[in-house]
Amino acid sequence: MTGANEDKGKVAKLQTLLRTTSSRLSGRLGLPTRKQSEDGPDLPIARVSEEGMPGRGDGAAEDAVAAGPGVTGLGGAAGGGAAGAAGGTAGGAFDGNGSLGAGGLTREQLAAAVAAAAAGGGGGGGLMHQAPIPEHRVRKFHKLLQEPVVDLDALRELSWSGVPLTLRPQVWRLLSGYLPPAKSRQAHTLARRRREYADMVPEYYDIPHEERSEDEVAAYRQVAVDVPRTAPNVPFFHEPIIQESLQRLLYIWGIRHPASGYVQGMNDLVTPFLAVFLAEHLPGPMEGWGAAALNESVMLEVEADCYWCLCKLIEGIQDHYTYAQPGIQRAVFRIKELVRRCEAEVSDHLDSENVDFIQFALRWVNCLLVRELPFCLALRLWDTYLAEGTGFSEFLIYLSAAFLLSWRDRLTRLEFQDLILFLQRLPTADWSEPQLERVLSEAFILRSSYGDAQSHLRQG
Amino acid sequence: MSHKPDDDYDYLFKVVLIGDSGVGKSNLLSRFTRNEFSLESKSTIGVEFATRSIQVDGKTIKAQIWDTAGQERYRAITSAYYRGAVGALLVYDITKSVTFENVERWLKELRDHADSNIVIMLVGNKSDLKHLRDVQTEVAQAFCEREGLSFIETSALESTNVEKAFQQILTEIYHIVSKKVLDSEDNRPKIGEGRDVIVIDNAHDDGGKKKGGCCS
Repeated sequence: MTGANEDKGKVAKLQTLLRTTSSRLSGRLGLPTRKQSEDGPDLPIARVSEEGMPGRGDGAAEDAVAAGPGVTGLGGAAGGGAAGAAGGTAGGAFDGNGSLGAGGLTREQLAAAVAAAAAGGGGGGGLMHQAPIPEHRVRKFHKLLQEPVVDLDALRELSWSGVPLTLRPQVWRLLSGYLPPAKSRQAHTLARRRREYADMVPEYYDIPHEERSEDEVAAYRQVAVDVPRTAPNVPFFHEPIIQESLQRLLYIWGIRHPASGYVQGMNDLVTPFLAVFLAEHLPGPMEGWGAAALNESVMLEVEADCYWCLCKLIEGIQDHYTYAQPGIQRAVFRIKELVRRCEAEVSDHLDSENVDFIQFALRWVNCLLVRELPFCLALRLWDTYLAEGTGFSEFLIYLSAAFLLSWRDRLTRLEFQDLILFLQRLPTADWSEPQLERVLSEAFILRSSYGDAQSHLRQG
Repeated sequence: MSHKPDDDYDYLFKVVLIGDSGVGKSNLLSRFTRNEFSLESKSTIGVEFATRSIQVDGKTIKAQIWDTAGQERYRAITSAYYRGAVGALLVYDITKSVTFENVERWLKELRDHADSNIVIMLVGNKSDLKHLRDVQTEVAQAFCEREGLSFIETSALESTNVEKAFQQILTEIYHIVSKKVLDSEDNRPKIGEGRDVIVIDNAHDDGGKKKGGCCS
């Protein structure tokens, strides 16, 4: 990353910080204030800081970190020093952002975008609910997206801390590499990819069972067993047209990726894409969607977009799903090592209770934590994963460790049986953005602090 | 249903639930341990765990049950949980003959990875779906006689025979284990005579009071 970008990055992180701060002070935004849940993260950040961040002594930095996401962020391994500097200039950066160009957007458009984001689910935990994103951030998104060639690095920076609901379809397509950054080529690429997918359907799917190989029949059955069990808490996904679509795209994905084939849990990985791309065609909150508004050709486009984005997402983590799942085993090992390094008390306790990380973290890594969070937060998580790009599986290590450590006090009080039961059903049902943002920022800090020191574990 | 406190038991038995995807393993477990059933439960990724204690001959038996993912891809990871298991419920779906045909493969899995003395019970689940039956009871029964397995048909949905299935396998394990203890008091078997030795994972080597963490 260049020096200039680094500065831009700091600004972006500060915006995140301020956004989180403002959502904490949500009363000001006319939102219901929400108390930190008893089960919510209780990370004593200072402890992480003491080990990893030499600059912690700086009061400004400490305040900044304690307030929210990744102020140290873009400093990367530079860690504490950057935190100090960034923390110290927080106020100024905010003023600066306020006066950034609106990119030709009218106030009405902006207000509409912000309102649409807020309408995601009725303000209190709808399936696609999103807390309002500050105007200046929405404006920045619009500005970036209006360029003839979208600056993907800048878009990643900005998206890391959350993408406005209405812009997610376009931003996700760009970040996943499905859509090219050059505006002039986008329509053509999209049409071509959708056509390619549409051609696969008769080739792989619309054939009689008798013409399928034994493995293909088994794959078909496996998908058919899982599709009805996909996101049971999202009723719209159980409409026949959606079920059929999921069956088709997961089956075709498996047939076209024979190294792994379809693996249970991949169905969970499609759901964020599905919700976001459907939202382009279905107005209002998800709870009010009707399948009648979807015709087959629209559905096929949504399905194609989901298919290609799933391909891009899994591209870098294929070995999570091949025989014996070596990628997952390695990731779980690294999560364990990371926890041992930054919070030995927790890992010692788990060890002494004979709790093995694979017993709970396998699902975390396999389903990229989707199963552990409410659906609206899976969407938020996807913003960050897609912003991370090919490195997201690396980030997942830090995220999983931060996620585990957000219950550190509880964990060290439990014995084997209660530990396992607790870890396999973490009480995140009432989580909303602030809790997730906090874990994301902790993960960011962990990566800044331990990213380089861990390089010896990254091999093999 | 009443549960004794977790740390108060005479024997701790580790049991695994195995079988093809979608046959109802997780619902059998939730029906037995929490009296819950969900038509829309998510697929199990890796393993899930639950416990319940029951009474057998005046003794408290605590079952520590590991529910495993059905898909073959997970087997390399889930088979590690067979170690130390003294019982296995091998589940198929009576409405899907392919899940019964795969029972042979699951038995091979157990032969390869579990203790040779593991007590196996074949469970034909979804017995409420009578009109969709695809595997005849007699066929499964005959198979079990040949293979020396216990057999039961259950419905996790209607809560039919679920209690009985677990009670039966735990009782069978208990009888083998307590007989073993008696035998060993009368006539201590020499180490290496192993064929009849049931792995109970130290569950009662301290007089029956042991905290969790027996599994490998």
